[in-house]
Amino acid sequence: MRKKWTKILLSSLLFFLFIFPVLFLFFKSITFGWNWPDILPHTLNLRAWTVIFNDPLIYRSLFTTVFIGVVVVILNYLIALPAAYALSHGNPRGKTLIETILLLPILVPVLAIAMGLHLVMIRLGIADNTAGVILIHLLPTLPYAVRVLKAGFDRISPDWVKQSRTIGTSQAAAFFIVLLPMMLPSIRSAGILVFVISLSQYVLTAIIGGGQVTTLPLLYYPFFNSANEAVVAGFSVLFAALPILFLILMESSIYLYKQWLHRL
Amino acid sequence: MNKWYPLLFGAASLTAGCAENNTADVETQQERDWEEIVEEAAGKEVGIYMWGGDEGINAYMDEVVAPALEEQYDISFQRYPMDTPEFLSRLMTEKEAGQQDGAADILWINGENFRNAKENELLYGSFASILPNMEEAVNTEAPYIEYDMGIEVDEMEVPWGNVQYAFQFRDEENPPETLEELFYWAEENPGEFTYPNVSNDTGNGFIRHIIHHVAEDPEEVTEFNEAWIEENGDEVWEILRSLQPSLWRNGETYPETLSQQDQLFANGEVSATLGFNEYRAESLIEQGTFPEDTQTVGLSSGSISSTHYLSMAFNTQEPEAALVAINYMLSPEAQIAKLDPSMWGEGHILDLNKLTEEEVEEIESLVGEEVVPQEEALPELDARYISWIQENWEQEVVQQR
Amino acid sequence: MFSSARSFLLLAPLLLFMILFVGQGLYRAFSESLHAGDNFLENYEQLFTQGTFWSSLQISVYVAFVSTLLSLIIGLWITRTLFRLFRTDQWKLAAWFPMLIPHFVAAYIIVLFFSPSGWFSAVLESLPLAGTFPVLVNDPLYLGVIITYIWKEVPFVVLMLLPVYQEIDWRMEEVGRSLGAKGFTLFRTVEWPWAGPVTAEVFLILFVFILGAFEVPALLGVTYPAMVPVLAFEWFYQGGWSNRPLAQAMMIVLTFFSVLLSFCLLYAVQRSRRKWMKGGKSNA
Repeated sequence: MRKKWTKILLSSLLFFLFIFPVLFLFFKSITFGWNWPDILPHTLNLRAWTVIFNDPLIYRSLFTTVFIGVVVVILNYLIALPAAYALSHGNPRGKTLIETILLLPILVPVLAIAMGLHLVMIRLGIADNTAGVILIHLLPTLPYAVRVLKAGFDRISPDWVKQSRTIGTSQAAAFFIVLLPMMLPSIRSAGILVFVISLSQYVLTAIIGGGQVTTLPLLYYPFFNSANEAVVAGFSVLFAALPILFLILMESSIYLYKQWLHRL
Repeated sequence: MNKWYPLLFGAASLTAGCAENNTADVETQQERDWEEIVEEAAGKEVGIYMWGGDEGINAYMDEVVAPALEEQYDISFQRYPMDTPEFLSRLMTEKEAGQQDGAADILWINGENFRNAKENELLYGSFASILPNMEEAVNTEAPYIEYDMGIEVDEMEVPWGNVQYAFQFRDEENPPETLEELFYWAEENPGEFTYPNVSNDTGNGFIRHIIHHVAEDPEEVTEFNEAWIEENGDEVWEILRSLQPSLWRNGETYPETLSQQDQLFANGEVSATLGFNEYRAESLIEQGTFPEDTQTVGLSSGSISSTHYLSMAFNTQEPEAALVAINYMLSPEAQIAKLDPSMWGEGHILDLNKLTEEEVEEIESLVGEEVVPQEEALPELDARYISWIQENWEQEVVQQR
Repeated sequence: MFSSARSFLLLAPLLLFMILFVGQGLYRAFSESLHAGDNFLENYEQLFTQGTFWSSLQISVYVAFVSTLLSLIIGLWITRTLFRLFRTDQWKLAAWFPMLIPHFVAAYIIVLFFSPSGWFSAVLESLPLAGTFPVLVNDPLYLGVIITYIWKEVPFVVLMLLPVYQEIDWRMEEVGRSLGAKGFTLFRTVEWPWAGPVTAEVFLILFVFILGAFEVPALLGVTYPAMVPVLAFEWFYQGGWSNRPLAQAMMIVLTFFSVLLSFCLLYAVQRSRRKWMKGGKSNA
């Protein structure tokens, strides 16, 4: 009985601390002229949302943002999974140095290197376009992906992989059938983390994408400096909604993958 | 959409980068007929870099300018939301890399940023005289045609709008009308007044008013006057220092941006806000952000009038289309639509003598009574004052608590 | 364990990417920070004699340290108490929810609730209690910034620690208990060998991240002293770019210390891990 009560208490605590604020944000976005010291608004309307969706750039920017986010997540997996595996189960010389290098994008202020990066991108011919922005989003995301995935690999005993190999499965099969299912929790969290980081990039997207690649932050940032709180709140809700959408997308692909595993 | 094909980056992409520049330069344009330019511009896509944080301004660009250009000139007009310092930085890097196919064509610019761009040769050139509307509509007698905050314009930018500095008050029977009265009002109502950080143009503009206030005669300070600063600089800071304790949060901190101050004002945390554009409160009231009883006051002791301009990037891809678009934005039609407070609502740069009677009437019906009479307008200060304020304010005022 | 050469092969794309991009950017930043005249370190000298820089650094280190430490303590506490519950997905999702929210949105949420004209203040006003709402946003102690970071980073701490806690061999605890150990000793001997290295790693990531992040302090900080990234932004763009070399010098200094700190910490973590793994093996 006591256990049940603690559970209820805990769940309401988690709800109030973590979920309620976001619901509040949504509520704020459908109010009109709601100012201190009113606890509740006098008028509810969808004006803020009309403003947001009247912007002709909004639909394309939603699509671009999700597209870039998803590609960045996939590229992160392709690059970070092998690297994290090597760091966790391999023993490369100069490991500390390598790990430090992999953390570099977190250690260096973005503003300091943005100009240099732009120069590189121009030389590569991918400034001002989506490819360049995707590539540049790898910088702030990869360090996190590597850390999270490495923590996942650390939990898996190397013996597992060895055992499956001795049974005679191919390396790829060993990866997909043995390693990947065990890594799923880490892969899931890495994906969400990467998506959210990609979603929040403003400076890098502005400088590399040159305003031509309009992601959501490019539209939203200037509005953040707007006195109309309902519009700011509405945009914020969009920002919270996209990762949730991504989460659903991700869960369904994980579900499909599990189905596939079952059928094996 | 050629934006997507480079997704297949890799070896192939290494070849690009320094494409040949085959766009016409400004000398060539000057020799051409306007009709020729208009013809050349048809079917092209042109982009403007401009700050995108005001729904009214965005709506004006998207709902007035873009459709008109499409309809009248077959030009498709794109708005790229980016802040001025950022796109200038970008242009600088593009210049360094020898990037000739620039991302955007038209720039929204003035003052310090213009100087920066001009000095670093980031602009297309002296194009103003090419535009027919400069002759036919714009008030070319105005001082801002020749000088932008003390910087020679050299026809490298054309005025787009002209606004006055004004103050907004809420719940106030008798709002102050001179700076003296404002200081007194601030002391009487502790915590109700503040101004944004001077890295922000609005905050900076407030200090520029104080410079005008300290200087007896505007003539003394219109050009950057080092001797004057040497002598009177401390008086400026002294005024701000003595004002500080009666500000919002006792002057412990200042709003980082004007919008932050507007939010404070909307929530009643402060009773005054301020800023360029004497009509800006109207749309904010309409949005439900500002209270109905918001009053706008221009200082009768003089208020600075500020002009913002349009210019072109050195590496524009479509100079013809850019010229046509800028010319349209100077036209009476576009300028009058810009006056409408339900969208942008800011001052025009037209010469009323050049307009038809209907146009003049339309302007009068939109503008109504002037908030700041022309004769009370103060000239904008030299851009170097802005830097001087930015470099010293924090140390001289904020850190002196 | 496999060979060093093969690990390098797996790491190569990533290392190449980092060195190519960050290296190029850093090189440029560094050359911009140098002075063109005789004394090429002049910008650095100017930086170090400037009070503004030191007060910025001070407040930045303070904010980063306090936010990181509190996030770690709270995150560790939540993980320890709840890790059994977290086996089910609903619970996990609830605790991770803030991770779905970008930092600047989180900052805005804090404004909505905690500012003097925010919702909590309105609620307090309507209650028949005396007293005004304390200033928690744009306050000189940076409490608003710290609250935002804690809200955002606690889930990250839980995310990193949870797998560790779910792997701990809790039979060790019973053994320890039966030997009479309790409380902190139990924590130190049973949990810390597992959780310690990850905690150190998370500390590093959060600390350097907060030190270098712009959005939250820009919205919730104060004019003076501003946190280093805010100051860097101002120097970078204002005054006709004349302060840019100074801004670059500041960011190079910041980078240098972050890299040094992370190298030392990662080295220490690895050593303790190796030591511990050896110990574990000899026991087995």
